[in-house]
Amino acid sequence: MAENFVVDATLDVRGESCPYPELYTLEAIEKLEDGKILEVIADCPQSFINVPASCKRHGHHVLSTVKDGTTLYYYIQVCK
Amino acid sequence: MIIALLQKVHNKCFNRFWNPFIVLLLAGVFAAFYFGLTGTLWAVTGEFTRWGGNLLQLFDVDTSDWAYFKEIKLIGEPVDRTDGWLVMGMLLGSLFSALISKNFKWKFPRQKRRWVWGFIGGVIAGFGTRLAMGCNLAAFFTGLPQFSLHAWFFIAGTAIGTYFGVKLAVLPVFKGKPKLEFGLRPAKTASPSAQKQNKQLYAAFVVLIIIILIAAYYISAGKAMLGMAALFGAVFGMLIQRGQICFTSGLRDLWLTGRGTLGKAIIAGMAVQTVGTAIFIFKGIAPVVHWASPGAFIGGILFGVGIVIAGGCETGWMYRITEGQVQFIAVGAGNVAGATLLAYGWDHWGVFDVFVKGWPEVNLVSSLGWGGALLSTGAFLVVLYLLIIWRENWYTRKIAVKSTLPSKKTTA
Repeated sequence: MAENFVVDATLDVRGESCPYPELYTLEAIEKLEDGKILEVIADCPQSFINVPASCKRHGHHVLSTVKDGTTLYYYIQVCK
Repeated sequence: MIIALLQKVHNKCFNRFWNPFIVLLLAGVFAAFYFGLTGTLWAVTGEFTRWGGNLLQLFDVDTSDWAYFKEIKLIGEPVDRTDGWLVMGMLLGSLFSALISKNFKWKFPRQKRRWVWGFIGGVIAGFGTRLAMGCNLAAFFTGLPQFSLHAWFFIAGTAIGTYFGVKLAVLPVFKGKPKLEFGLRPAKTASPSAQKQNKQLYAAFVVLIIIILIAAYYISAGKAMLGMAALFGAVFGMLIQRGQICFTSGLRDLWLTGRGTLGKAIIAGMAVQTVGTAIFIFKGIAPVVHWASPGAFIGGILFGVGIVIAGGCETGWMYRITEGQVQFIAVGAGNVAGATLLAYGWDHWGVFDVFVKGWPEVNLVSSLGWGGALLSTGAFLVVLYLLIIWRENWYTRKIAVKSTLPSKKTTA
């Protein structure tokens, strides 16, 4: 599943709890151009549900999700 | 063989969160049975207020003349009360759940403001809930199915409060700054070290055994109510952690990101529970009814603002602490402080006289009859459900409009 791709920006929201992981992600996406890839590093369980759900709702692609213990890495491709 | 089977079951049950609809339907059924078996509600903030009273007693403060403590029956210590064991059971149950799902991790907020806002939000929410005689449980999730009109006022207040809370939470002073770095970096590939968290599984079994021992002790000692409260508490705790049932999120996200899944699930849980409590009340158990006063409505607004600022409601901080999110200790401490402040102000500052005195405790069953009570509660839930759908659609349209704008610009 995990392809080798390169991310254009990294948002580290470890230690943040909702709603901020989700808000920060949507704001970071705003700053990126179409087709760019954002990496989101999160460890708040609630955000495991909120972040991908909100990205999909806004029309962006969640390329992959990598789980490392209790931390999740999301790769989101911006679609504008 | 057995280990492989266990791993398969574990993977299926604990590798992902449970569907909030199923969790809240189960919570509704359990809440109805808890009421049917004990005559009390799944509730937490009344107990938080008593903790505040017990804490003051430790410092030799005489609380015997506080009217609010007489109202909520501050007797003994947490271990002597069913509500006390319900709360402790919830903490143990969600700790078990967090550990067995390997969700536990110490998490410290990166920004110091989270501690401050967590505490302040907790105080506002704690004060509001006790003004209303209940939080997102006794004046909301388990309050509405008691046919108590005060829950209607509280729910309306909370919806308004969370709306204003969201307006505040997006301001820079609340939001802070994220750690966003631009620059090319290779993506992380799947790590094979998924098995390293097995310690959490052993800890989970220790917690499970503690829960069973507590329940067995009280039941065999002739205090079955306390044992049952601990067991039900553990089930509720497990459900809210597995379903990530955050009432704050359920309401806030409607305003913030237009997501209504959790809100709809909460309504479904209340609907199921209403049927259950109706049967028990019909069979003769006295419903828990509180004052349908301006206090319930204003308390709801304060609660709504407070939970959004704090990032968690009274049940939300409980399961988050057991996931290792230490900032929620501040929220919990704020809740106890706010609730105790209200208990003091109740008679000493005249809060009761201004907001609550003279307002009736409206029981819909006795004032409208069974048909009227069931119909009106059902209609209220349907209206809430439709409002959520309306809000979701409104937000979807907003996104659609936004995404067509830049493309128009490029073509022009």
